[in-house]
Amino acid sequence: MDKSWWKILSFVLLVYTIVCGFLLDVPHLFILNETIRNLYFHVCMWFGMMILFTISFVYSIKYLRGYQYRNDIFAENFARVGALFGILGYLTGMLWVNVTWVTDQGQSMASVMKEPKLIGAAIALLIYGAYFVLRGSFTDIDKRARISAVYNIFAFAMLFPSIWIIPRLVGSLHPGAPGGDNGNPALDRNDMDARMRMVFYPAIIGWTLLGVWIATLKIRLSLLKDKSIINE
Amino acid sequence: MNKFILTLIGLMTSLITSAQDKPEMADLLRSNGKIYTVVAVCLTILIGLFIYVFILDRKISRFEHETKNRK
Amino acid sequence: MKKNQQSISDNHYFAGMNHRISALFKKDILLEFRQKHTFYGILLYIAATIFVIYLSMSESPNAVVWNSLFWVIQLFVCVNAVAKSFLQESRGRMLYFYSICSPVEFIISKLIFNVILMLIMSLISLALFSLFLDNPVQNGLKFIGIVILGGTGISLVFTLMSAIAAKAQQNAALIAILGFPVILPQLMLIIRLSKTAFAEVFRDGAVMQLIGLTSVMDLLVVVLAIVLFPYLWKD
Repeated sequence: MDKSWWKILSFVLLVYTIVCGFLLDVPHLFILNETIRNLYFHVCMWFGMMILFTISFVYSIKYLRGYQYRNDIFAENFARVGALFGILGYLTGMLWVNVTWVTDQGQSMASVMKEPKLIGAAIALLIYGAYFVLRGSFTDIDKRARISAVYNIFAFAMLFPSIWIIPRLVGSLHPGAPGGDNGNPALDRNDMDARMRMVFYPAIIGWTLLGVWIATLKIRLSLLKDKSIINE
Repeated sequence: MNKFILTLIGLMTSLITSAQDKPEMADLLRSNGKIYTVVAVCLTILIGLFIYVFILDRKISRFEHETKNRK
Repeated sequence: MKKNQQSISDNHYFAGMNHRISALFKKDILLEFRQKHTFYGILLYIAATIFVIYLSMSESPNAVVWNSLFWVIQLFVCVNAVAKSFLQESRGRMLYFYSICSPVEFIISKLIFNVILMLIMSLISLALFSLFLDNPVQNGLKFIGIVILGGTGISLVFTLMSAIAAKAQQNAALIAILGFPVILPQLMLIIRLSKTAFAEVFRDGAVMQLIGLTSVMDLLVVVLAIVLFPYLWKD
């Protein structure tokens, strides 16, 4: 039980997120109105996804260094939960986009889809989709672990420059990105209201910890399942 | 009479524009306390989710324990 | 004295490495000449695809459509041209290579060969494109330069993807699945860059920045290929 303090932390942080996220005052902005509170939920999905993918990437490197089957299971399951977060982020983003950009700013859905952050997210999801397809196409366990670790490292290493490059190519509607070719797309920390930061950062940690918890559950299950293989 | 109507219309338009000057927030939801219902619903879902995950965690722990003992 | 000897042996080593790389490279070219049917197959693939586009378009496409069509065709040509580079090597032959050279030499020779193959294919398809679908390009030389740059990037990525896919079953389809999401950003860069050849005005230095970014991405792919290929190699 002493090792589960972070699970409790995750719970406490998420309760805090929901209570304060709905009740505290937020900046009054046009178009966004109350939907700005989605920041605590939708944006956290993306942050959680990136953190989980990073963990998966680290375990892939660890696998290639020692060929321990454990590390492959870790890499796979963190990637799976990361992809789940990514899909949730995509779905919630679609809902949010419908009431803000599509209806209020008269953007068409096709132009919204060309949004740099959406492209980056779509690339990330496609990459990990390919990763799972690749895993599925092997019958030999060692080979599967090794080849998919190579792909995971390669794809992840390519993903980061892409996320950095694409916003410089396409104009953005996202906050913190003053459109055009030369806008700096980085999320401007000073732009965010201090009150919102109070909730936003704990929310990221809370959601990510929940993701890690679910991933560890999946890992423990597959470790149990493959116990005979590992001990050999 | 005509003048009166005109001023009335002018007053109303100015009222409307002033209302549009500030972003519209869901203040009614807040003032009549119904926002607490929303918070309660979300909290219930969250707590339910956590209980589910927690039970799953315990089950897997027990299972791990059993397989270790069997060895 | 000792240091001198060290450097001499280093030189020797690198000379040997260069030698082995060029030998592997020559072997690939020789194979290409021996098995001309695959080479002609890809040529026919390019011609047929462009002809289909030509027939399905009632009139010549405008510059934007032309540009994106061109690059999408490049992508598919590359998948087909590069895909076989690892698939054609039989198991026995791989074992033979395994005994005579290091994985780094092997991947470098493959990368060089595929880049050159892709460049030939790109230039041929550019010629066919201008033949069938007109040529809205205003600055031909610049566009050829961009084609070379883009073709290099695409072929580098797909070489590594084909090395990965060769290890899996049902590999031909896998290359596209694995490669497309990874190549997308580079493709967007290149499509953006090629608009300079259509006389679109760019901000000062933006063109150089785009070229720099593309080259850096290519370099990253090469480094990753060299680091990661040894793990794919051994069986």
